[in-house]
Amino acid sequence: MTDPIKIQIRNLSFFYDDFTVLDGISERFRENTISAIVGPSGKGKSTFLMVLNRLWEGMPGARMTGRVEISQKGDFQDIYRAGCSLPELRRLVGMVFQMPNPLPMSVYKNIAFPLKLAGVTNREHIDQRVEKALKRAFLWDEVKDRLQQNAMDLSGGQQQRLCIARALILEPEVLLLDEPTSSLDPRASEVIEALLVELKARCTLLVVSHYQDQVQRIADRVLELSDGRFIQRTTDESKSSHLLSLNCENSK
Amino acid sequence: MRGRAGEMLVIGYCWACALLLPGVLCCVLGFLILKGGHTLGLELIFGDTDPIDALLLRRPVFDGLFPAMVGTLSLVVLAVGLAIPVGISAGIYMAEYSRGAVKRCFSLLFDVLAGIPSIVVGLFGFSVAVFIHRHFSENIYPCLLISAVSLAFLVLPYLIRTTQVALEGVSESLRLTAPALGASRFQNIRYVLIPRALPGIISGVILSIGRCAEDTAVIMLTGVVATAGVPHTIFGGYEALPFFVYTVASQYADAQELSRGYGGAIVLLFLCGGLFFIAFGIKRRMMHRAVYRV
Repeated sequence: MTDPIKIQIRNLSFFYDDFTVLDGISERFRENTISAIVGPSGKGKSTFLMVLNRLWEGMPGARMTGRVEISQKGDFQDIYRAGCSLPELRRLVGMVFQMPNPLPMSVYKNIAFPLKLAGVTNREHIDQRVEKALKRAFLWDEVKDRLQQNAMDLSGGQQQRLCIARALILEPEVLLLDEPTSSLDPRASEVIEALLVELKARCTLLVVSHYQDQVQRIADRVLELSDGRFIQRTTDESKSSHLLSLNCENSK
Repeated sequence: MRGRAGEMLVIGYCWACALLLPGVLCCVLGFLILKGGHTLGLELIFGDTDPIDALLLRRPVFDGLFPAMVGTLSLVVLAVGLAIPVGISAGIYMAEYSRGAVKRCFSLLFDVLAGIPSIVVGLFGFSVAVFIHRHFSENIYPCLLISAVSLAFLVLPYLIRTTQVALEGVSESLRLTAPALGASRFQNIRYVLIPRALPGIISGVILSIGRCAEDTAVIMLTGVVATAGVPHTIFGGYEALPFFVYTVASQYADAQELSRGYGGAIVLLFLCGGLFFIAFGIKRRMMHRAVYRV
């Protein structure tokens, strides 16, 4: 039995001034799956992720057409409809960036920050959620004794897991990850990969990645972004196509 | 070999340029201490009045700097207190909300405002005081409040620009972090952007404090007098250290009086240093609070 559809995209086009980044994309993403998005740099992979939580809005010269719908309790809602609350959307669709971006606060404050934004004030409840999020991100054992330490003092791998924990504390139904291991060493990357596979049981994951081995290990399906459109690949196929895209990129 | 010599020459020149400002500062401080250091003491500040009586405002100080010190402090606190809310809010607007033609137009206006000579601002303040006196209340004369408003007007462009630059300097990744977690625009500004930009914003406040404390042209036209005593109301005249230094330097009767002028300049520098120190302390405290307060 296949999982139900979580994200439905219809005829999505995205432009920076006159430059077409995404060209009429129609695609569906199922619940509890990891979809890897591959392709050369600068072709719109990160832009595609930002379309799913409307984070691109406000960028100079950017505009889009098309329809993006996310299922909530079986009911598809257009995220670009009038009256759609951006804070609520972004609690539903979490995002982790390429570079770890802890806020200049303590570890505890970083993790609790989304709850503060959401208006949660019960200290005991916040403590429990912080601990749970850190455990889910495999970080609790490493930071439980230094929750009041500045988050900027953690290692790169710890910072990235902290960012994932911060995104997880609101229990998003969709998690977008933009090259989450690109700035990490292989050992830290392995931990993140294990974490992503574990998270699949609870949410829908879209991961932009340049690492083919990683894609093969974690992804249920692979989409290559080429000329503004998706080309569906099997995880094996993607290896050759990815190498080809890298060769094309290098030969420019 | 020639390349190496050229490199050494450029490095030496850069070193010399970097040393120029601290060198000049040391020369000025050394000169002031040499000329007026011997006058420093309680007598310079309190004259022949008992310091305790003077501090408790039980007896007026006639031949000391105490009234001018209180006047300068009151002026700086009032002017910076008026300028900070307006300047920082305008800086936030410029960095986070204004776009396109409006932003360009406002930027030009703030640059023009920054270039207005302080004597013109003083003249404007004086005209406003006269206007209010004639048309609204005969009790309003050039006074501490008019001086403070004029000085606030003078330092506003610095505050606006430093706040704007500090906010615009926050990295794009950090700027997107809070919105990606569900923060509204206002929450992003309040919880992330302002704490991150705080060092730059406080630098603007420190610049403003220095500018308010040293300016003479504005206060000469808007309320400062040579003998007013300690100011008891913001609607009255007041004394100020820069004005004391100016009057002594231009009208001194003997070498001893000139030495007191140098002494006044040293006191003014210490007063500014003290205010900068307090501003740095506030900055450190606010940064620490932003990072560690749970």
